[in-house]
Amino acid sequence: MGRLRAQPANTITHLFIYILTLLLLWEWLRPIPVVTNTADIHLFVWFAFFSAALIYLRVPYWLTVPILLTSSVYGLHFIFHEGAFLSREGGWETVKLFSSEFWFNSSLIISGEFANLTDPFRTFLLFMLLALICYLLYFWIFETRRIFVFLLSTIIYITILDTFTPIDASSAIVRIVVIGFFMLTLLHMLKVQEQEMKIGRRATSFISPAWMYTLIFMIGVATFIGVIAPKPEPQWSDPVPQMRSFVLGEGSGTGSGIRRVGYGENDERLGGGFVQDNNPVFRAEVEDASYWRGESKHYYTGQGWISEPTNVDSNYIFEDEIDYYMYDDLAELEEREVSIEMEEGVGFSHFFYPGQLKQVDLETLTYLADGNEGDVGQLTFQTDVVGGRVEASSEQFDTTLKSYDLIYDEPTFPIETLKAVDEDDPEDVKELYLQLPDDLPDRVVELAEEIVEDEDNRYNMAVAVEQYFSENDFEYETSNVPVPDEGEDYVDQFLFETQLGYCDNYSTSMAVMLRALDIPARWVKGFTAGEEVDEADGDRSVYEISNSNAHSWVEVYFPGVGWVPFEPTQGFDNYVEFEEEEVEIELDLDNGADQDDMPDAGLEEEFPELDEELEGATGQTDSGTDRFRGQMSEFVTLKAVLISIFVLVMTMVIYEKQSRLQNYYFLWHYRMIGNDNRYTIAYQRLMWILANEGLPRGEGETLREYATRVDLGLNSQSMSKLTKTYEKIYYGKYEADGEWTKLQKDWEEIIKALNA
Amino acid sequence: MRNRPEPSVVKQPHIHRLIENVEKVVVGKKREIELSLIALLSGGHVLLEDVPGVGKTMMVRAIAKSVGADFKRIQFTPDLLPSDVTGVSVFSQKTMEFSFRPGPIMTNIVLADEINRTSPKTQAALLEALEEGSVTTDGETRELQDPFLVMATQNPIEYGGTYPLPEAQLDRFLFKFKIGYPSRSEELEVLNRVETRHPIEYLEPVLSLENILEMKKEVKNVFVNENVKQYIINIVNATRQHHSVFLGASPRASIALMKAGQAYAYMQDRDFVVPDDIKYLAPYALQHRMILNSDAKLSNATNERVIHDVVEQVHIPTGKETAR
Repeated sequence: MGRLRAQPANTITHLFIYILTLLLLWEWLRPIPVVTNTADIHLFVWFAFFSAALIYLRVPYWLTVPILLTSSVYGLHFIFHEGAFLSREGGWETVKLFSSEFWFNSSLIISGEFANLTDPFRTFLLFMLLALICYLLYFWIFETRRIFVFLLSTIIYITILDTFTPIDASSAIVRIVVIGFFMLTLLHMLKVQEQEMKIGRRATSFISPAWMYTLIFMIGVATFIGVIAPKPEPQWSDPVPQMRSFVLGEGSGTGSGIRRVGYGENDERLGGGFVQDNNPVFRAEVEDASYWRGESKHYYTGQGWISEPTNVDSNYIFEDEIDYYMYDDLAELEEREVSIEMEEGVGFSHFFYPGQLKQVDLETLTYLADGNEGDVGQLTFQTDVVGGRVEASSEQFDTTLKSYDLIYDEPTFPIETLKAVDEDDPEDVKELYLQLPDDLPDRVVELAEEIVEDEDNRYNMAVAVEQYFSENDFEYETSNVPVPDEGEDYVDQFLFETQLGYCDNYSTSMAVMLRALDIPARWVKGFTAGEEVDEADGDRSVYEISNSNAHSWVEVYFPGVGWVPFEPTQGFDNYVEFEEEEVEIELDLDNGADQDDMPDAGLEEEFPELDEELEGATGQTDSGTDRFRGQMSEFVTLKAVLISIFVLVMTMVIYEKQSRLQNYYFLWHYRMIGNDNRYTIAYQRLMWILANEGLPRGEGETLREYATRVDLGLNSQSMSKLTKTYEKIYYGKYEADGEWTKLQKDWEEIIKALNA
Repeated sequence: MRNRPEPSVVKQPHIHRLIENVEKVVVGKKREIELSLIALLSGGHVLLEDVPGVGKTMMVRAIAKSVGADFKRIQFTPDLLPSDVTGVSVFSQKTMEFSFRPGPIMTNIVLADEINRTSPKTQAALLEALEEGSVTTDGETRELQDPFLVMATQNPIEYGGTYPLPEAQLDRFLFKFKIGYPSRSEELEVLNRVETRHPIEYLEPVLSLENILEMKKEVKNVFVNENVKQYIINIVNATRQHHSVFLGASPRASIALMKAGQAYAYMQDRDFVVPDDIKYLAPYALQHRMILNSDAKLSNATNERVIHDVVEQVHIPTGKETAR
């Protein structure tokens, strides 16, 4: 502390920065009660401030040390003992106790048994540490003028705490950023001012108002944008549960632990987290991206989905006969083709198809029968007319499809039709697709009714339920999702307790809620569109679909239209086209745009936010989708995107042309208000503008020399003329008399020359 | 100093005429003539440091003749006594009284040639006269004439048997500058002019002493703005703080600079001083008033270069310091 005698530079700015660092120190202390069993943290904060004040006031160290010791003893007393400090039984007891503790613990320290230190002594050490840190901060600010390390370590500290402990540092980080900005900028200002003082341009340092206003404005804007800007979900799934499960052997959630993502057969018990698996499943060459349907399930047990397949032999699927109807007359269909090539080692015997499967091309179909190339003639095909699963099998062998071409219908759903359809469902549909478990909690039904209370048609209701999740802060989460307990309803748990989950949660919940509203709905399994990896002939692209694209969604029945897919999962888009009748938009084009903007769909489940961006892009062009896509797309409507682009471009232009605009402003400004009294201001403004434009006056350059140089540069005489008059006014004791009118032209000429 | 700034065009009609007249005799030395006239108008004195034969005497004589001033020349030698400069009282047998016989200093313009050749005692007598504007002999103070201009010369190449002027004495000169060799064409012109008859012989006065006195008064009325004063102080201060300088310019230097600035502004027919005046004059007014430290001397720094450094860096007040 001897260095304190050295009388370091000390201004109000220094003090200000010092206070800011103390606030940062406070941020260090805030989380301590949460992560440790320390209580009474305010005491430590006060102690830190107190010692900082002592240090700042440069109290001699022979006074500082005893004062700090006393106050830490008082703190110990406050924490560990009852009663008034000054009473007979109070402070003195603490002192006695502390001194004995001190010797005891000192011996512990010497012998290296740090773990056995007693609590009061640890507290005492913390007090001492705080005092030392306060001095360190003082030293950093007043002597070395460097505080960045402290700021950086604060941020690292807070982010680590936020990541690995229950502490939520989302407001702390804002505070730190604001404080940090202030601190660094003021410190920088201080350095600049010191340099200025060194060369004799400034007598003292002070908090420059211009600097402060800019600073406050910038920090305000930055913080505001930072706070309101949409933030991506964590780029990595929260590592803590996984680390815990690896290190501590803990399961995540309550149930069966972590599974691997992929297309499974058994959906009887949904829930639980999974880890990502980006191994590819198949590649598809197709014109438009769309979801790949595997099958649907219709029976909800309260824990998951089961199906009762009713298989029919589908010999006709090669002959324009359809066994499994998905769409009715009112859907607009367009025939498409797709070639699918399964990855090696992936054992599916059933097809994945977009839209309505019409035909399997036997010519191109290859398969493995017990690992050998099989003869297509021996295959039989079965279609589950309930779930839509189309399976190939041969009598003796285990069948694994290798590649196949499909013909399918791609639907477009006219929204007005969907809104207008008769809601009289056929009996067989009602029977299968309105089933709900008896013990479905009432609140699920109530919630469903509440969601749709303002809607008067099936389509709007479906949309309302679909969007409910994104409008109500449900979180997309794959790893840390609990499995419902025995007797707990899967949907109920998701809707009312966890509110976090992945596609299964969203799709099941939507299906169940729709059923609760007497709208037939079923749960569909398959894959998302996958990642566009290559371009093929024609308009076709190659998509690679991996295990992580495994997905589930909802199909809702509309009489006369058929089964319309809905996508309740946050951050996903199912590429289904809804068409508003009055707007005739060529949808193929739109899809082209979709494909261009296709993000890494293999990462979709990991990075739902990427899909949000994608939706921004689709939202521009899909006439129906934007209305349909829910809250997120309200942010990224065509209008919003256009406005943003416009604003962005304008900002760039303004930034680019700022000096020119500024110059025009001054031109106009002085044309309006210029007069003889303002001659000097106008001249000084001109100098300022010239400096901005890269023609600053040199330090030792007189006005005349400067004017000559400017005139030479701009090929004019004006600056010298103006300077002459300015000299007269500024150095002589003249007042401008009609000079402005005479010289205004010259003044403007320079600005115009600059802008030219 | 290389790249010396060009002097501003002299606009004051009398001075303009005067300079033209002097230039009839002295070829291509307009700057030096101007500086000498500044000294004349602001009541200062000039120290010329140059080799013999470059026209120092001729310039002084031409100036003196042009303004109709008395001109005397003192050749300083080691045996010159103070009374040889100031004058001496002699006892007149006729009147049985002491009568004062004025020395060569009792005139308007004095050329003190090779001032560093005489003893410090005599130097002191002269320089005291410069400062006080009067001489005291035999207990009697006698005012010198007005205008009064001393142009002292120093020979820079000979050191044997010289008494270099101490710093304190140097400070009394307003300016110190060199005349320097003429260029080839100028030298040719010199030869042409003196071919038949030296032009100084038929030079006519264009001004009277009364004119000069009047102008001296007017010079004093030239306005010096606070900011310009600030600038002068900046410069002088900077010489004191310059890393190569052992002893910087004195406050007397600031005064000299300001007065010279007034005269210079007057010569340009301007009734206020601008920083350009100061900047232009600073090297002439300051370079002999400071001593460099040994480091600087070893690294070949010269006073001129230091001053140049200083004026290029010193902040010039130009109005409200707009934020940059």
